[in-house]
Amino acid sequence: MAWAKQGQEAAFRELVRRYERPIFSLLYRMVRDRALAEDLAQETFIKVLNAIGSYNPQFKFSSWIFKIANNAAIDHLRKRELETLSLDGSPHATTPDEMSATAPQLGDRGETPLQELEARELGGAIEHAIARLRPEYRTCILLRHVEGHSYEEIARILDLPLGTVKTYIHRARNELRGYLEDRRE
Amino acid sequence: MTDPLLLHLTPDETELWAQGLLPATRDAHVAQCAECRTIAERERKLIRELARLTRFAPEFGFVERVMAKVKIPTPSGPHFRPHTNS
Repeated sequence: MAWAKQGQEAAFRELVRRYERPIFSLLYRMVRDRALAEDLAQETFIKVLNAIGSYNPQFKFSSWIFKIANNAAIDHLRKRELETLSLDGSPHATTPDEMSATAPQLGDRGETPLQELEARELGGAIEHAIARLRPEYRTCILLRHVEGHSYEEIARILDLPLGTVKTYIHRARNELRGYLEDRRE
Repeated sequence: MTDPLLLHLTPDETELWAQGLLPATRDAHVAQCAECRTIAERERKLIRELARLTRFAPEFGFVERVMAKVKIPTPSGPHFRPHTNS
């Protein structure tokens, strides 16, 4: 009994080790916040490992885990869109002081070591260009050209028709080239 | 039927060219069409740039933090026992 449990544990650890970088990288590029990406990556692995019994081996394991990670990122981005502060501060602020206290500080970038690390990691032209893509284009381009998934796998991961995935990837590449050319000019 | 030597590349074919996978008959078109070659070369540059992007790592100890929260199934069946070995 004990050895069987240990065997399962070892297999789980191996899965986390094998996928931690690709899953974390996708999430980090989606939400552009290290701590949050790590929370979402943890959430993804816990969900996957706790539901491993329901995994259907007809599908690639990588498609399954990327689907769960992408759903976590998209859910978060949708929530964040709803909660986004305006430049005037929180919608709940009732006085000028409250508005000023809750307004985003545009000049604050890179103040903490974590922010400095994020600026270093995600500060390049190509990373900025990826960040400007709409989330569905961003996921598609990352899955295709960073992770090397086929169009068919991406369609399964995102539950989209193959034609839509192709369109998204072609448009995303066009947009990326446009953003990069703008920056170089 | 239109001569494959005269047809411009589709976006799918442009990607294939960038990956070195375009069939020779279509490759011959790229060799003679400056417009397709410019587009395909720009595409290849972007695809290479994307493929070179860093794979970031989470903070040290990530595996342990995940394992501390995962339930390891016992061999006896559908019972789950929280993992406590961390």
